[in-house]
Amino acid sequence: MAIRVVLAEDNVLLREGMSRLVQGHDDLELAGTCGDLPSLLGLIDQEKPDVVVTDIRMPPTGTDEGIRAAAHLRVEHPSIGVVVLSQYANPAYALALLAEGSQGRAYLLKERVADVEELLVAIRQVAQGGSVIDPKVVDALVGASSPRSRSDLDRLTPREREILGEMAQGKSNAAIAATLVLSERAVEKHTNSIFSKLGLSEERDVNRRVKAVLLYLAARD
Amino acid sequence: MQPDVAVPVLIVDDQRPFRLAAAAVLRRSVGFELVGEAETGEEALEQVAVLHPALVLMDINMPGINGIEATRRIVAAAPETVVFLCSTYQLSDLPGDAQTSGAAAYVNKEELGPAVLRRLWDERDGDGRLHTA
Repeated sequence: MAIRVVLAEDNVLLREGMSRLVQGHDDLELAGTCGDLPSLLGLIDQEKPDVVVTDIRMPPTGTDEGIRAAAHLRVEHPSIGVVVLSQYANPAYALALLAEGSQGRAYLLKERVADVEELLVAIRQVAQGGSVIDPKVVDALVGASSPRSRSDLDRLTPREREILGEMAQGKSNAAIAATLVLSERAVEKHTNSIFSKLGLSEERDVNRRVKAVLLYLAARD
Repeated sequence: MQPDVAVPVLIVDDQRPFRLAAAAVLRRSVGFELVGEAETGEEALEQVAVLHPALVLMDINMPGINGIEATRRIVAAAPETVVFLCSTYQLSDLPGDAQTSGAAAYVNKEELGPAVLRRLWDERDGDGRLHTA
């Protein structure tokens, strides 16, 4: 069955281009297009798509509509995947997008869309609950402060990687403990070790969780 | 304490690679014999009732009821069954109820081998405490 896609992009040219791209692939179906947040939310309720591809900045405010749509879907339609397109590698937006878990979420730079394969891969990934994070965003997040961060991932034990994989699904320590049948203290011990190995010990808790997850997702590609 | 008859063993793990690895360990372990495999705790309960294994090698993290709960139910239904919990984590990482599940021993999957299996089996004493390798 084709993946049903709704596109939200206020730039008409880009919207047309992406529409044709979706229509040109048999495994994708264009369920609708729009150019602002209220129409997007209406279209989602009406069409129940599998995936939403959305610009971050759209009317009415031109600030973070795409992120807000993703947050709304996480609660109202958790099975719908979201590909967020951004002009800039703005780490704050990426952190916000992934704060409630990375499942079914992609953050791509618009420059990446020029390579149509990247967008297609992201659509197919989030449709299956996967995640795609633009490498440039990861670099902007962690590159400057800790250039060794990516190779630091290799220092994690298989146990720590398993726990980081659960964190990538947006789970709290208590939820991870329940899933893996561990004590909460054990999960805490392992997450602290993960943060320490990734050089994130000094960060605020929410940020270091998301940063650790971003590194994990980036290294998986 | 060398038994004349091999100890019948049930392997319980949702991951096939570990079942294969555990089966290979059993093949190299004198005095133990693989009699069955289960992929879930629920299936393990059924298999214990049918196969009457003397020893169950029980994974902890599985879909459905976890290995700790499955152990509790097996020991309640068939108290003569000896259960070894198996995990890739340290014993100290497990939730507190692993200690009180009725399992006789805990084995780290990376340490499971013929010698460890034999020692834990010979040392089983039903004192309700969880022994480790």
